[in-house]
Amino acid sequence: MGWLPISFGFPAILFGLLALPVIWWLLRLTPPKPQTETFPPLRILARVMRKEETPHQSPWWLTLLRLLMAALVIFALADPVFNAREATPASGGATAIVIDNGWASAPDWEVRVATAERLIDDANDAGQPVVLAFTAEQTNTEIGPFDAATARERLAAAEPRPVPVDRPAMFTRVAQALEAVPDATVAMLSDGLATDGDEAAFEALLAGSAGQLVWIEPNELAMIGVRESDNLADAFTFSAVRSTTDALPRQATAAAFDDRGRRIAETTLSFGAGETEAQGQFRVPFELRNDFVSIAVDGQNQAASVYLLDENSRRRRVGLISQAEADAAQPLLSPLYYIRRALEPFSDLVEPSSTDLNEAIPEILEQRPAMIVMADVGTLPDTARERLVEWMNEGGTLVRFAGSRLAAAGNDEELLPVRLRTGERALGGALSWTEPQPVTEFPSTGPFADLAPPTEVTVSRQVLAEPTADIVERTWANLADGTPLITGAPRGEGTLVLFHVTPEATWSSLPISGSFVEILRRIVQLSRNQGRIDASGEGAAGSLAPYRMIAADGQLVPPGPEARPLEPGQRPAVTIENPPGFYGTEEGVVAHNLLAPDATFSPIERPETGLPVTTAAYAFDEAVDLKGPLIAAALALMLLDTLAVFWMGGMFARRSGLRPGPAQTASLVVAALAGGLVFLPANADAQDAQPDDEAAIAAISQTRIAYVVTGNGSVDAVSRAGLQGLTRYLVEKTALEPADPAGVDIETDELAFYPLIYWPIDETAAMPSEAALARVDAYMREGGTVLFDTRDQYSNGFGADAASPSTQRLRDILANMNVPPLEPVPQDHVLTKTFFIMPDFPGRFAGGPLWVEASFDAANPDNRPVRTGDGVSPIMITANDLAGAWAIDSSGAPMFPTVPADPMQRVYAYRAGVNIMMYMLTGNYKSDQVHVPILLERLGQ
Amino acid sequence: MARVGEAAPPVAARDALARARLRASLVPDLLVEARRVVNTVIAGWHGRRKRGIGENFWQFRPYVEGETMSRIDWRRSARDDHIYVRDKEWEAAHTVWLWADPSPSMLYQSRGASVSKESRALVLILALAELLSRSGERIAWPGLSDPFTARNGAERLASYLLHAGELPARPNLSQLRRFSDIVVAGDFLDPVEETFEWLDPLAQRGVRAHLIEISDPAEESFPYSGRTEFTDPETGQKLTAGRAETLAEDYRRLYTARRQELASRCAKLGWSYTVNHTDRLASDALVKVHMAMTADVGHGGR
Repeated sequence: MGWLPISFGFPAILFGLLALPVIWWLLRLTPPKPQTETFPPLRILARVMRKEETPHQSPWWLTLLRLLMAALVIFALADPVFNAREATPASGGATAIVIDNGWASAPDWEVRVATAERLIDDANDAGQPVVLAFTAEQTNTEIGPFDAATARERLAAAEPRPVPVDRPAMFTRVAQALEAVPDATVAMLSDGLATDGDEAAFEALLAGSAGQLVWIEPNELAMIGVRESDNLADAFTFSAVRSTTDALPRQATAAAFDDRGRRIAETTLSFGAGETEAQGQFRVPFELRNDFVSIAVDGQNQAASVYLLDENSRRRRVGLISQAEADAAQPLLSPLYYIRRALEPFSDLVEPSSTDLNEAIPEILEQRPAMIVMADVGTLPDTARERLVEWMNEGGTLVRFAGSRLAAAGNDEELLPVRLRTGERALGGALSWTEPQPVTEFPSTGPFADLAPPTEVTVSRQVLAEPTADIVERTWANLADGTPLITGAPRGEGTLVLFHVTPEATWSSLPISGSFVEILRRIVQLSRNQGRIDASGEGAAGSLAPYRMIAADGQLVPPGPEARPLEPGQRPAVTIENPPGFYGTEEGVVAHNLLAPDATFSPIERPETGLPVTTAAYAFDEAVDLKGPLIAAALALMLLDTLAVFWMGGMFARRSGLRPGPAQTASLVVAALAGGLVFLPANADAQDAQPDDEAAIAAISQTRIAYVVTGNGSVDAVSRAGLQGLTRYLVEKTALEPADPAGVDIETDELAFYPLIYWPIDETAAMPSEAALARVDAYMREGGTVLFDTRDQYSNGFGADAASPSTQRLRDILANMNVPPLEPVPQDHVLTKTFFIMPDFPGRFAGGPLWVEASFDAANPDNRPVRTGDGVSPIMITANDLAGAWAIDSSGAPMFPTVPADPMQRVYAYRAGVNIMMYMLTGNYKSDQVHVPILLERLGQ
Repeated sequence: MARVGEAAPPVAARDALARARLRASLVPDLLVEARRVVNTVIAGWHGRRKRGIGENFWQFRPYVEGETMSRIDWRRSARDDHIYVRDKEWEAAHTVWLWADPSPSMLYQSRGASVSKESRALVLILALAELLSRSGERIAWPGLSDPFTARNGAERLASYLLHAGELPARPNLSQLRRFSDIVVAGDFLDPVEETFEWLDPLAQRGVRAHLIEISDPAEESFPYSGRTEFTDPETGQKLTAGRAETLAEDYRRLYTARRQELASRCAKLGWSYTVNHTDRLASDALVKVHMAMTADVGHGGR
């Protein structure tokens, strides 16, 4: 099985597969046993059967199913294992497992643990004790030897650390632990990165009693680390490094995060082919850059990909120097007041403690500011001046403001960007013809080109620059008359800027305009910090407590128990006691980053040794025992096969074919489920033409006589047959041609479609619900008529109080409805004249009266044939079983004999039905018809 | 898996002795049931008129629309403006022959049916015998007895059956005369032509026949499915269907076509044809047959 990573415990059993063709042959020959049935109409069936040839063999798919089942069982017995792993050869008296758990191990730590677990298993199988050491842990950690269970526990408890590994110290300890053990197996699970002193460390480790080296290193070194950052004027740059083995061109995304972990900027890192370094740039606004707290490379779940930024990399320090004395008393007149207010929001201000320039300038330069602002400082002492020029040439930005002192001082080539004329120029005023000058557009070559010009600013006094050849390129802002307002010139790596006005609002309104802030901010952005202040530089006594640490996976977490305060020092090493992170307090933190600015990732070298070396790779243990799944699959197929046989035997279909019965055998879950679906109790109601919503139009497009579906099948069938008989009689005898009768369920169906509803009272049926009776009541009030038929004329007993169950049920029903006063149909009622002249209304039984609504106000004063009166009785009650008399079967023959068996009685019953229908549809029309002869006579006919 | 239907056990035995004994144990039960069924019919017939099938004049009565024109007595009608029908007297000596199919196919009873077809046929025949003999008619079993009048007609017929040996598959119809009726209860599963081959002489002789087809629900609905082997109880012939459910539709069509053919031929001859399913009540068929035998009444007659 070279093409599949499967091995078998008992490969000999696979020869059983040779039996499959035999099984196939047997299965093909054995048809399933048929169900035998006695069937008298066989001759009719034989005529049908001629067309079909009978299969005498199993269908091919069933054979295939069974063959597959057999093959699965054979495979399962052969004890197959998928992805079987190879055991590490164990020798000697002990196994030492040394695991690098530094930051580079974090992304695939689980694989390392799985690999180590296998080694522990192998050592356990060989009965060896295990020395388990982690190179990033503190050197006083216990390393064993342990038994296998303890080793597994300690392995599970171990975790990667966000610090570099310290191999020499740990290797020494391992070598000590193995001293007493001959020929120990040393397994080195390295993280693939070389560290200082590797060679010596390995020598120490392997020189002792080691008998064998198992060398495991990662297949690839995909880590990217951020090691340096710089906040430049126009962009935030940082440099990233990757392993020297990673030579292909590669791109990665880096992002900057603020103090709440929000992702506020993103950029792409591009490593060229063969390059191990890449520069990234965040080109985002200055304010946003100041919010950066950390930079991280996406997809790198390790500590080195995170670079923390503290105050040093963020804000510019600006030194302020002034010579004015009376600052404190009149702050608004202080030359630094407006500068301070303008700079405070985005820079750190540094002010000297004394006003003596000889002391002040060195004091400020100590702080390595990015920029120094000098407000109206004239001549500088020589020593201070030299240091200032030196600082400026190294990249400092010096901003000078004019004033009376500067105007009085002579020209200084090095500390002034342009040559100045001595004295100052006044514009406007009582004795002048000139006007104060406004500021024009900023020159497009200057740094303020994209700022809005401060048109509201006027300048009344200024110092004037001598016109020189390079005056135009040095001019950053102009007055309307073309004289420069701000001039600037590079000095070495630094910049020198001169405002030709004072920093207070005496010479111009510039310091109190919004543009002043914009201009200063732009200059600050152009400046660069001159070096960083280290924890030591502050001169702060005491150490910095851990504040936020970088976890091994690159997240910022609260400090763990092992983190110690950062001792002041030049650059403390990153150890397990000083893990990378922020140190300090909420007010101010110092970033302690994992990688040094010159860090590189070079791969570890396998030590040259005379010992036998086994090389392996990190991998999960992926061996899967396939026996269980195969057996399960075979069982599933067997179940399928059983179901298929049942299906072919027609079990499911047959069960549904005959009368519904309880599911007796629940031997199969599926069978029971299918049974549950099939044996749903059938609706006992007769399935008649019940108009549902869709068929409402059909229901009302033709007149129909309706009957109440009682739920008792025989009663409903008689009702339907009876109304069909009446319908046919109506068609034959009258102009009315009703459609097929409709069965209505008074609980749900719409009743208003029907002029007459026939309601046979069945005492065995369920009592209608109150809602249903309310619907019937509403139907009766709105003009419909219900014909109640108790069908108990001969079973009603004798005596006034005698009541059959049907009558009793009718009384119960009517008790819930608004029933008008009733009377038997009087002799002169219009119901007796509507079509036929009817003295009484027999049905299957004769003699029972037909009760209708009493018409008290009806009068018949002239002894006419019909009494007058309005309205149609909403209710009729009879006991004569009208439907029984009307009922006909499909051939048109009456279904029930009348009692007594008088053929005329059936005719009378039909006639009664006709009269009732005519009464329903024409109302009291016939009572008016009696006037026709008189009317005709009067018309002169 | 239970079968859909099989031959009813009491009458499945082959030898005549066992069969006679078993039938003897069956008959009293049938009698009781027949009586019960008859009672329900009699209740609706209280005071039966004495007109009906017969040869003698009974009365003239006005023609009712819907009756067949052939029954109008034109000679009497010509005398005045009304149209009359001549009613015949119910002839007291009217002879009704009763016969139930004894063939093995009648022994079939499916799970959905309450009784076997043979049992139902005997119940119907004996019940008719009870009814007819109560009304004073002469009843007889062709080939087994001569026509007789007795108040206990059903019992006598049953005892004849009890003592009879193997009954022939077809009745001996040579004794039947004109104006008599015959009630034949069977399953009529043979081809229609074969059935009418032995029924046609009746039509030629003017005998009015009432055919009652006893049908098992399984025969009609064909609830079989899957691989099924069918056995004919009469011939023992076997047929194996691979997937019986595929045959159902064609089979049902043929089955109903046969029934319709029988019914239409009976209607043509003026005979009645009644279908009774063994999962329904016997009284359904009894009422129908009885109404067919009495004079048609009122509307909707033949």
